Amino acid sequence: MVMVIMAIQLTGINRVVYAVLILNKAGGLIYQRDFNPGLQKLSSNDYLILAGTFHGQVSLASAARAQVHAITSQISPTNETTSSGLEVLESENFVMRCFQTLTGTKFLVFAEPRQPNLDVVVRRVYELYADYVMKNPFYQIEMPIRSEGFDRHLAAYIKPHQ
Amino acid sequence: MAGSSTSYYFVIIGTKDNPLYEAEFGTFKQGGDGVPKFREEQRHMNQFIAHSSLDCIEDLQWASKEMYLKAVDKFNNTWVSCFLTGGNIKLLLVHDARSDEPIRQFFTDVYDMYCKTLMNPFYEVNMAIRSQIFKAAAKKYL
Amino acid sequence: MNRETSPFRTPSTGASPTPKHASLTASTNLRYSLTRKSIYDRHLNRTKTSELSKSAFAFLFGEMVQHAQKKVYGVQDLEKKLNQHGYAVGQRFLELLLWRDGRTAKRETRILGILQFISHSLYRAIFQKAADTLEKVRENEDEYMISDNDPLVNAYVSVPKEMSQLNCGAFIAGIIEAVLDGHCFPAKVTAHTAPSELWPGRTVFLIKFEPDVLEREALRVGG
Repeated sequence: MVMVIMAIQLTGINRVVYAVLILNKAGGLIYQRDFNPGLQKLSSNDYLILAGTFHGQVSLASAARAQVHAITSQISPTNETTSSGLEVLESENFVMRCFQTLTGTKFLVFAEPRQPNLDVVVRRVYELYADYVMKNPFYQIEMPIRSEGFDRHLAAYIKPHQ
Repeated sequence: MAGSSTSYYFVIIGTKDNPLYEAEFGTFKQGGDGVPKFREEQRHMNQFIAHSSLDCIEDLQWASKEMYLKAVDKFNNTWVSCFLTGGNIKLLLVHDARSDEPIRQFFTDVYDMYCKTLMNPFYEVNMAIRSQIFKAAAKKYL
Repeated sequence: MNRETSPFRTPSTGASPTPKHASLTASTNLRYSLTRKSIYDRHLNRTKTSELSKSAFAFLFGEMVQHAQKKVYGVQDLEKKLNQHGYAVGQRFLELLLWRDGRTAKRETRILGILQFISHSLYRAIFQKAADTLEKVRENEDEYMISDNDPLVNAYVSVPKEMSQLNCGAFIAGIIEAVLDGHCFPAKVTAHTAPSELWPGRTVFLIKFEPDVLEREALRVGG
């Protein structure tokens, strides 16, 4: 019985995801959406800076700002070329999961701490992106995502009961 | 008429009453060599006969749901048989003896080949067909 | 023994004498590919049961929409272009469907018959499901509606706000128009977005027949 309850929790019907961000391969923010209150509201400019900071294409030596993703991949104790950079960031108030596709697009999911199976969530977001963004003839690659179908299906997946 | 051996005049008419393909051939039955034996003055008559049957077909096509309309018109001893495709393309055969079943089979084969022609992305409806392939069907049935 | 070095060869049927007066049937060079097969050697049912990946279709259709967008001046122009693409498909599909019916194939001679053919047989052959509804527009004698709750072509399409008039179902409308035209029911078919609560992508194909179609239909009822 306990096992069954755990399984239900793991599939995460009542998952609390705060926000989803998508970064293009140049580090530009192409999608940002809040789903639940919990994160501090930022101005759209701040979101862009956040995305750029996180991404960090610039090499560490010339970087004026701290470029989180680039730093983590460079300070990795193993061979730096194989390091995929930061994947999970946990704090008292939230957990962030990052997934980078082979083409360099990054998906960031912010959720409540101790949220299980976030990698499944992030994969599913990727899948919806592949379907409703990449297959949409009106989407220009690397540009901000304005796809009604993507919005709808993402909301249906993350907040199914609202 | 053309003596003992039967000759055929076959024409495909497009949706705007425009000819897409025409051919003449003789019978292949009973040792026929497939060479048309129309007299010279008969040859252009065939075109007129085929053309005049179009009015009959336009009447008949609303009375029947069949694609094969059998013999639709007669002029002296010459019959016109018609097969009407879904896209309103008319396959007409001018012949001098009535024989519905072999002609149906001939038309069915031609329709098959017409469909294949149409599947070619470089071919559009109402374009002239420049392949001689339809004569192969005549060899089998007529 | 008789092998030729050229990848193309002329079939023997091409050598038969052509009538002098028939310029239409000028001698032809049917080309054979390396496999020595022309389009006439392939069976038309070869692809009858094969299925196409939905993704592959979505990408292809997306490219088609993008291509059509390059040469147009507005939404209406774009829809017309998509309609034309669909029209070419419809012309071919109609003949193929009737061919597959073999001896039982029937041409439809009545408005209702052809509309049912479209919303059932044709729709099922293309999309593996029948259209959701077929209705007559009450106010107008010459208008009919076929609706599709979730058109396959629009599955991944999100139309931007500035083009809200657009429905890429214009492609399907073109297919329908070609089938109607083929059966001598000339009509204008347009696609309109008509969302319902359950189906946000619901599309209605509005069919407006030309006056002589109704005239003919009335004569047939009278006779």
